[in-house]
Amino acid sequence: MPQREFEITIVKTGEVELHVKGFKGRGCLAAAKIFEEIVGEMKSQQQTSEFYEPEEQVQYRIDQRH
Amino acid sequence: MSAVCILTPVVIMAWPAFSAAVVAAASSLGYQVAAEVKKGQPSSEIVHKNTSAVKLEIERSEVVTNQLGRDQRIAVSREGVTVTFSRDARGKAALCVTGNGQSDEELRALGEELSQAVVQQYVYQKLMNEMRSRGFNVVEEEVTEDRSIRLKVRHWEN
Repeated sequence: MPQREFEITIVKTGEVELHVKGFKGRGCLAAAKIFEEIVGEMKSQQQTSEFYEPEEQVQYRIDQRH
Repeated sequence: MSAVCILTPVVIMAWPAFSAAVVAAASSLGYQVAAEVKKGQPSSEIVHKNTSAVKLEIERSEVVTNQLGRDQRIAVSREGVTVTFSRDARGKAALCVTGNGQSDEELRALGEELSQAVVQQYVYQKLMNEMRSRGFNVVEEEVTEDRSIRLKVRHWEN
């Protein structure tokens, strides 16, 4: 279960700067959407290098022994 | 870090939450609550013989209320300046700044400072309530010198 981290700065005008951490790929956009719903309107959005990395995948290997 | 977003708040709240945000913001800036009354009620604290008055409104705001709560208002004061918050005819949050001896620009600046603080308090309260209900953990919280509120929040996802 991955841990996500958010740094939120509510500046004195009430505007919110949100740093979304721990995501790779487009998962961060879904997370940012949650905060957009809570606060109001998305004024700007800037992706960092991790955004362009492949989405996280979990692989399981099951061995059957007789 | 994956993304940096700037969010502009849209303020939609009922009168009790709005007046609570006004009280919290006003206290943080050294104002005292002068009165919270309904329009038409006699209130010596709100009726002033001041020479200057500036009216402002909070952008992107809506104070939701029922018929009975429409004329409610709350006044706060500091050093001879009184700021009265109310709901205007269109439902927006409005404020009137009155004072003795200050220019319109000074009163406008004081009103904008306080109305911004009200929006900041509204956003803070809404974020804290929503994050709590969605299982987010606030692990750090501080108010910086420039009066920004910084929160560090963690969330475990399935």
